Amino acid sequence: MAGHHEEQSSYAHGEHSHSDRFYWLVAGVLAVVTALEVALFIVNEQHLIAKWLEVTLLLILSTIKGAAVVMFFMHLKGDAGIFKFVFLVPLAFATTLLLSFMVLFSGHVGIAG
Amino acid sequence: MSESSMTRPHTATAHHTSLGVDNRKLGVWAFIGSETLFFATLITTYFVFAPVNRARPDFQDPRKFLDIELTTVLASILLASSLTMVLALSASKRGDRRNFTIWLLATVGLGLAFIGGQVYEFNHLYHEGLTLSSSLFGTTFFVLTGFHGTHVAIGVIWLLSVFFKVRTYPDSPENAMDVEIAGLYWHFVDLVWVAIFVLVYLI
Repeated sequence: MAGHHEEQSSYAHGEHSHSDRFYWLVAGVLAVVTALEVALFIVNEQHLIAKWLEVTLLLILSTIKGAAVVMFFMHLKGDAGIFKFVFLVPLAFATTLLLSFMVLFSGHVGIAG
Repeated sequence: MSESSMTRPHTATAHHTSLGVDNRKLGVWAFIGSETLFFATLITTYFVFAPVNRARPDFQDPRKFLDIELTTVLASILLASSLTMVLALSASKRGDRRNFTIWLLATVGLGLAFIGGQVYEFNHLYHEGLTLSSSLFGTTFFVLTGFHGTHVAIGVIWLLSVFFKVRTYPDSPENAMDVEIAGLYWHFVDLVWVAIFVLVYLI
């Protein structure tokens, strides 16, 4: 039951907590990244950059946002491994599902067409 | 906190599993894992049917319907609500009831603002001719964003119920865990919107 006591101890000492200032900082970064995403979208309405580059940059920026939310707001960074397992394994499945179907049905108009 | 700590609930160890973690928190993380697959399926469906939508006679162009300005505001509202949620959790662990109340109710208010914005968007799109059955784009778009909006609504109800349950002693381990697991769900709803915002509205 060592893990039991560790959990209670970590909870009691607020191991997962950051300072409020840190949370404001993370929110500021998220706001900046969101502004960059929208700016990129607006810029590309003039077709100034290639579509593949726009999509790649948008995916990178959204991954940064998502990772920040999960790691710092949901406190998964530094939390128990079992929580990471039950979230990251389905996330990996979900990502694989999305990519697989995108490859399989890219440009495909046969179904329900 | 003027109340004596002797009167606070002491059930912190009542929900621990043999893994050494709180079973409610583990359950919520597992639920979030299943929800990840659920939304991935809806997003995948949206993308699979996008080229089919373009090839059909009832084709409706997403770029002509989706309003990036409104959606950016909605995305900002949800991101702000994640900040207020984590500040509410922080205040609850400190036993700061005043700030806990302010931040949690701010989260509820931002959630309601998001729902209001989405209702406005749906109503606007409906009058523009985009409905659940007008095209494959309409079907996949409304199912995806509608399910997300439903999750936000459920989150608002969850947060309010947690607020009324824990407001007297937000810093007791039992109550702080209630706030934390409600917060996990709320942040997940924000996380889904991060994905929808980029994949549906920007790409």
